[in-house]
Amino acid sequence: MLQSRPELGPPQPYTFPRPRRLSVGGGTVVAIDVPGQQYAAIRLVQPVGGANEPLDRMGVATLTGEALEDGVHGNSSLAPSLEQHGAEWVSRVTWDSFVTGVDAPVNRITDATALFAEAVRTPALRAEDVLRRRDQLIERFWLDASVASTLAMRTIGGQLFTGRYATPLSGGPVRLQDVTPEIVTDFHARSVAGAAGTLVVVGDLADVDLEEIGKTVFADAAPAPAPEITAPEPATGEFPRILVLDRPGSVQSALILAHHAPPRSEVDLPKADGMSDVLGGMFTSRLNMELRERLGYTYGVGCRFDLRRDSGVFLVSTQVEAPTTAHSVTAILGEIEKLQTDGVTDGELAAVRESNTVGLPVTYSTARGLANALVEMVVYDLPEDHVDRLRAGFERVTAEDLADAARNLLRPRESVVIVAGDAAQLEEPLRETGFGPVLVRDPESLWT
Amino acid sequence: MHGLVTTNGATGRVGQYTLENGLRLVTAPAATGQVAAVNLWYGVGSRYEVPGRTGFAHLFEHLMFQGSGNVKKGEHFDAVERLGGDINASTSTDRTNYFETVPEHALDLALWLEADRLATLRAGMTQEVLDNQRDVVKNERRQRYDNVPYGTAFERILRLGYPEGHPYHHPTIGSMEDLDAADLDYVLSFHERHYGPDNLVLTVVSDLDPDDVHQRVATYFGGIAARETVAEAPDSSLEGPIGGPARDMVTEAVPAPAVFLGYRVGAYGEREFDVMHLVSAVLGQGQGSRLYRRLVVERGLAVDDGGAAADVLPFRYTPSLMLVTMIARDGVSGDELEAAILEEVAGLADGVTEEELDRARAVLERDHLQSLSNPSGLADTIGSCTQLFGDPELAYTWPQRWADVTTDDIVAGAKRLLTEENLLIVRFDPEDPDTQGGDA
Repeated sequence: MLQSRPELGPPQPYTFPRPRRLSVGGGTVVAIDVPGQQYAAIRLVQPVGGANEPLDRMGVATLTGEALEDGVHGNSSLAPSLEQHGAEWVSRVTWDSFVTGVDAPVNRITDATALFAEAVRTPALRAEDVLRRRDQLIERFWLDASVASTLAMRTIGGQLFTGRYATPLSGGPVRLQDVTPEIVTDFHARSVAGAAGTLVVVGDLADVDLEEIGKTVFADAAPAPAPEITAPEPATGEFPRILVLDRPGSVQSALILAHHAPPRSEVDLPKADGMSDVLGGMFTSRLNMELRERLGYTYGVGCRFDLRRDSGVFLVSTQVEAPTTAHSVTAILGEIEKLQTDGVTDGELAAVRESNTVGLPVTYSTARGLANALVEMVVYDLPEDHVDRLRAGFERVTAEDLADAARNLLRPRESVVIVAGDAAQLEEPLRETGFGPVLVRDPESLWT
Repeated sequence: MHGLVTTNGATGRVGQYTLENGLRLVTAPAATGQVAAVNLWYGVGSRYEVPGRTGFAHLFEHLMFQGSGNVKKGEHFDAVERLGGDINASTSTDRTNYFETVPEHALDLALWLEADRLATLRAGMTQEVLDNQRDVVKNERRQRYDNVPYGTAFERILRLGYPEGHPYHHPTIGSMEDLDAADLDYVLSFHERHYGPDNLVLTVVSDLDPDDVHQRVATYFGGIAARETVAEAPDSSLEGPIGGPARDMVTEAVPAPAVFLGYRVGAYGEREFDVMHLVSAVLGQGQGSRLYRRLVVERGLAVDDGGAAADVLPFRYTPSLMLVTMIARDGVSGDELEAAILEEVAGLADGVTEEELDRARAVLERDHLQSLSNPSGLADTIGSCTQLFGDPELAYTWPQRWADVTTDDIVAGAKRLLTEENLLIVRFDPEDPDTQGGDA
């Protein structure tokens, strides 16, 4: 005998754990104790990312992040040392931050952190290692760009911005050639070794001396200066437009629609993200229901905001069967227009509210998930109760808020559509959509 | 290096129950509260597929999200997403896995949704649903295999590693032709043959009392009858080496030459598998591994993969495959890279140091423990150990299997199995080496 669908009781209220905060030397330790979590996540956050790079040093942050893995003895010596402790190096350079760290068993946290600290503060940075890493990065750039979705994604910056954002975060295969070992050493001394930063620690901290760990990592480094923020200039040229990156013989097209969005600090996240969830942020979102579940054009489609300190981007991305490319573009535009015209349904509003509130225990059920949230708070200077404020914002959000966000933040007529696919097959149908002029380019010409 | 984390405090707190219909339930405590990770391992994978019906177990996994007797198309995803939960599924040669992590108060709903599609999927199945998901899966195949460089490597490897007609000869994704040929009757009969509570391990990781979880599972699943007939697995026994070197040379539009090597080794769970797992770690896992040190750092022949050049594909019911994969740097030919890799493989027979073995153990142990460090990963590992080996506690004790493997074992394993006779090679070379982008 089967049961009927159970009625759920009220969810247990969730409050994001209040972190412990210690000032140690020139830095700050921010920690969350998770009893029973034997694998700790440790992250050092420094507020300097790719956005602050001068145009003749593009990619220096990424290359420095890679070169730190060569350790204090050079020659890729860091990872083998960490491996002995069951620890793993973590490095993530974004436009707004330089994050390094280790994941380590809590009973090895002291040893792993000591290895991590010397690698970050006093690495060898030998010229031959830096050059090897640089050449490898450049070759990997081309390898990665041979995947259609990566190629399309890396093209967004140059279509929307001039200046630093026009070149990929890693500097791309051409500009990275200009970054010398001396430039890396200089960047490291000023922005990494010399800046204490903030140390995030998450795990079972019962037997962990946070002050000692802080002293090990910060030593005598000075407090990190606040990053300078300068609004980037937009790209020139007519919008909307379609750019085809020719990939002859492709059986699928990687498809992106992208346009500018405001900087992170100017966006009301529950309203913007809630609207984005309805359009393409969930499996059951409109775009996925249409392009995947009704039309069968794709394995999946999504959208999101990529928000930074000084600017932002909104993008829809998917990979569709080649002959359906043009119709996929019009179908995406149709869904955007419908959302702007008709707003959201009661069911969609409820889904946005519920998924972003009752699901918080799931979002933060891992040490890495909690650490990522703390890193975000540090980078964007958010209050300790940021997650709880977001939850409250989602609880308050209305259908009108989401409709307003759709009308104000979605700008299809100011978009570029980027298609990595077979131009011979796609150019004419894309032109016939009437969306805008169609330009075809050889992908290899993009970064010269 | 032993005992990085000997336990996460949960050993001995695993609960095991078997319902009258054969469903095996395992419970375990979560390290973080307020969540329930629900994980189902059905004992059916692509090894049950017969020629002409490849890709079916995986296509079927998609169909399980398309509605059942009391759940509309898309409603399962919708219900879990509304709870902010994580939800997905995957299919391999040996099992089909469905999982969701939900806030604890929603455990009953997750169990009900799973029970409904187990008991009544056939009531929700239509030709329209089948046609749509067939298109989705074909696009998944394009995205993962056909439209990416080296995308067909895996199916080429299986083709060389297992003889024609063998259940592991084809990849789980299947062929376009077979996907096109899938019909509704076969969908319905597949569910009947493979989807029964007697073929299911259900794992729940949460802070709830195990008896309480048992009661709830009994409520939702207890009324579902076991299968009337148990599907017979195709014969996957296989003795001896590959009969190599078996080779597949591919010239197509790839950005650089790539070398894929495979060696047939013991089945997952056998001592030989554990030894060869450590061999693969000495050779190519982590930046202290031989392939990384020699070919990436010292000789500059291979692209930096961070230390992920070797691993073993774990097949439970037939010999597994130890795989080695590297991509050539600019100016390095496929021949040169292949010879360099084979030289490092051959070097294992000359001896391995205690330090190398300790490092290899530490790397494998780290990866294992990281997989247990979140509720979803713990539930999945327990499901695996229970479905494949009948012992959920193995999830916690697995690293002990590596403790008494010696350097002599490593050398003996390498000498016996890493031979030309047991070798398959899949090579990709660019159509026109001069057009590679790396020169820019």
